[in-house]
Amino acid sequence: MSGDVVLAVDHLVKSFRLHHQRANSLKQFIAARGRNRYEEFVAVNDVTFDVREGEVFGVIGQNGSGKSTLLKCMAGILQPNSGNVRVSRRMGALLELGAGFHPDLTGRENVFLNAAILGMPRKEIALHFDAIVDFSGLHTFIDQPVKTYSSGMYVRLAFAVAINVDPQLLIIDEILAVGDVSFQRRCMEKFVEFRDDGRTIVLVTHDMGSVKNLCDRAIWLEHGKAVDEGDPGDLVEAYTERMLGAYSRTADGGHRQGSGEIRITQVEMFVNAGTTPVKRFRTGDDVRLRLHYESEQTVPQPVIGIEIESVGGSTISAPNTRDVGLVPTTMSGNGDLEVSFAKVALLPGSYDLHTSITDFNRAKIYDRLQNAMRFDVMTGKPYETEGVVTLSPQWTL
Amino acid sequence: MSLRRALAHRNLLYLLSLKELRTRYKKSVLGWAWSLLNPLSQMLIFTVIFTYVFAALPVTGSPSGLKNFPLYFLGGLLPWNFFAITTNVAMGTVQGGAGLIKKVAFPHEHLVFSVVIAQFVTLLIETSILLIALVIAGQNVLVWIPVLLALYILWALFTTGVALTLAAANVFFHDVQYLWTIVAQVLFYATPVIYFASTIKLDALRAVGNYGPTGSFIVAFHDVLYDGRMPGAGRWVYITALATVSFAFGTWFFGKLSPRFAEEL
Repeated sequence: MSGDVVLAVDHLVKSFRLHHQRANSLKQFIAARGRNRYEEFVAVNDVTFDVREGEVFGVIGQNGSGKSTLLKCMAGILQPNSGNVRVSRRMGALLELGAGFHPDLTGRENVFLNAAILGMPRKEIALHFDAIVDFSGLHTFIDQPVKTYSSGMYVRLAFAVAINVDPQLLIIDEILAVGDVSFQRRCMEKFVEFRDDGRTIVLVTHDMGSVKNLCDRAIWLEHGKAVDEGDPGDLVEAYTERMLGAYSRTADGGHRQGSGEIRITQVEMFVNAGTTPVKRFRTGDDVRLRLHYESEQTVPQPVIGIEIESVGGSTISAPNTRDVGLVPTTMSGNGDLEVSFAKVALLPGSYDLHTSITDFNRAKIYDRLQNAMRFDVMTGKPYETEGVVTLSPQWTL
Repeated sequence: MSLRRALAHRNLLYLLSLKELRTRYKKSVLGWAWSLLNPLSQMLIFTVIFTYVFAALPVTGSPSGLKNFPLYFLGGLLPWNFFAITTNVAMGTVQGGAGLIKKVAFPHEHLVFSVVIAQFVTLLIETSILLIALVIAGQNVLVWIPVLLALYILWALFTTGVALTLAAANVFFHDVQYLWTIVAQVLFYATPVIYFASTIKLDALRAVGNYGPTGSFIVAFHDVLYDGRMPGAGRWVYITALATVSFAFGTWFFGKLSPRFAEEL
């Protein structure tokens, strides 16, 4: 915390014009006599913070909170309307891997071009070339045009270039979330190596886990304004709480379907013997879900179901009460019910939980709550790096 | 300002130019030969039209005594093509570089400069072949190479200015590229490539051919390549002024608009 300030963002304001009728042709422009009707949309509103040497600084916020705009201003891609950004170290901004790769050029040619775009002098590229190829593991393909690469190879090469450009200040936007699991782990290792080298990192991410684990300090943006700045643990907690509150509001709106005689109002998750609701657990934990419901009238033979979906959109499991023969003749009033799972076999990742209440034939939907809750599974036992669930394999070699 | 930044990133400029050159004829059987076949086919077409359709005679070059339409034509066409292709490709390069511009901070001018450099290399290769043809035709052009190079550099500066202006304007109004197709065509016919400016009877038209923004350069090229004489001092001053104004305006205009590219693209 005592290092020099290497990145100073000072009262930064960035707004965009939202055009009602954008003149894209000269004809329209002349017809409008040079006046474009537009609204000013302030994406980043008076944000100020400092990042010191050797710090890992997190930026959190919902989609549309201005994170990416802030990042682009820091990277010098967008010009702020007022305020300024001062950078006093060699900066590398990783907003997208492989931006500027040309499909017809070979891997070797693209390495040089890409590194030059990222601001590396020619001599240094030549010096780092072997390290780049080593990291990417693409020795045999380096003289092939990159259009022949698989997307995984493409990303590997791009990341290898980006990470070897050797910046003192690194700005990263979510890119650790690309590639397969083993590649992600390698990125993470490189990231930690970077941090331990005492380099400064600014990290923008949705992954609250990595903010908590990796960052020294964080800032929380909402509607372009800084809500709070400080210890990442506290910030993530406050942020998650706020997002949950915001969620149940939206849940009453667009995400709910059904006739509404009976509704699920809230879902709580408990892990092992815990009594406080949580949103994350580890592979192999015992998990209990408590579903709160309210009803306006008596509903005959309701079937309650839940669905667990991976972030990729595939249904992992969708149990319901009818399948186990648990269908009450009627249900009414308010209350809650529970479903528990022993030794959950989900592997690390994020999952969405949907709930539904239907009639006995599963035809009439009383209530379906899409995205009732999102939860994270962290590494536990058993540990596997690929796939979504573990079937507790017993290997014999 | 932008020039200093461009110099600081000259490695990027070098690699981008190399990319332009390398990717241009990838996947084509004849490759670089295309860059020569195109002007040659145009030469054939216009020679037939000039000689047989219009039944015109080429003006004798003085003092060279050269009387050869195809050589005259190529002497104007090659630099003209450099201008036309560079301006056209430059517009597309900035538009096509959207992915890069939105994700990485780098001097956007380089996208245009790299096109100019790649096309200039092409022009030099094409011209060297024309020079050989001129020597075979008995014209002692080799002594004029330094003068020709100086003229080419002025022409490249002029072209760069136009290309920068168009590329920047095209980001904001896409019809600039369509408009430019028409303007370029008008300019082509207003430039003495397929005709001899001196044979035009109408004073006003002759003046356009001789002193139009592009014509004034092309006439200078003809002076050197076809006639084998030094362009007049007045013409030197005039085209130097044109090149300077065009380049200065282009860099200023592009530099003014380029910070907004990332938002507009």
